[in-house]
Amino acid sequence: MGRAELKVPGGKLLRVSTTVREGRIQDIKITGDFFLHPEDSIDDLESRLQGIRAEEDEVSSTVKRFFDSHQITVLGATPKDFAAVVLKSFSSA
Amino acid sequence: MKENWRLMDLMTSDCYTQMAIDEAMAYARGMGHSQNTIRLYRWKPSAVSVGYFQSVDDEVDLDACKKLGVDVIRRISGGGAVFHDYEGEITYSLVTPESDPKIPSDISESYELICRGIIEGMRLLGLKAEFKPINDILVGGRKISGNAQTRRYGSVLQHGTILVDFDAKTMFTVLRVSKEKISDKMIKQAEERVTTVRRELERKVDFKEVRDALVSGFETELDIQLAPGTLSEEENELVQKFKKRYASSEWVFKR
Repeated sequence: MGRAELKVPGGKLLRVSTTVREGRIQDIKITGDFFLHPEDSIDDLESRLQGIRAEEDEVSSTVKRFFDSHQITVLGATPKDFAAVVLKSFSSA
Repeated sequence: MKENWRLMDLMTSDCYTQMAIDEAMAYARGMGHSQNTIRLYRWKPSAVSVGYFQSVDDEVDLDACKKLGVDVIRRISGGGAVFHDYEGEITYSLVTPESDPKIPSDISESYELICRGIIEGMRLLGLKAEFKPINDILVGGRKISGNAQTRRYGSVLQHGTILVDFDAKTMFTVLRVSKEKISDKMIKQAEERVTTVRRELERKVDFKEVRDALVSGFETELDIQLAPGTLSEEENELVQKFKKRYASSEWVFKR
């Protein structure tokens, strides 16, 4: 299992743990003290990331699509921060 | 004419009841069944609340909590883990409809507006406080209040704490702050980052005095009149229902 954290400068802490199997994200959990509205959309973000290839382009575009798809407000981190910490978790495995 | 809002005055209860009341008020307000409300409360037994997105296992030392009789609960709002010390803080909550003209639709702006009530309350106590984005209030550069907001059921629910006293040792015992042992240095560092009403005023300010200041502060900054009220029958029923969820390990260990 890979695990990474990112303290966003002037923002909040993001923690991600991922299980990658055969190059794809099998399991992912995103935790931290950020604010995401509506809160339960985090389940949607995680399920969108599940099954995709564990590489930069796919992670970034999946995260971007999630933030573009809803009336999402995030405080304390940016969509890019989310993508960055997910990517970081792969290399810690 | 000033708007009349309901005041739910300084009440003490366990964490499950407190979080259930906040949610019940948000639910009923969204249904149009109640008034805008400001509520003041204390947590007994003392409790740790974690933010919606936090992992309890990462944030909380459950064994230490058990030993000390400290409850653990997950909030419906984001943000960080808080040790709600019965002897050390007052918590407030505020509920309005999302469409309320007094509350900015932009979440960051609404934090700042609602926090102005607390800042005015601090001023009335003789303290110069300032809002620090995203969700903090500082006195002399040190955090005295943390706040968290959620929007659901068509309502805005913001709750937060005002530190009256600070027990750094117990806080570090119940929260997993780092892998290091609780050292004098850590406690000292925390005391440099965090402050309390009593420390700033250098006297034993009682809870009633802080309560009075907060009530006046919110009244002034929101341009409202607070009138004491109680929970409706509907809200009380919701509290019973929500309490069960808050107390369930499924909810507490959700993430």
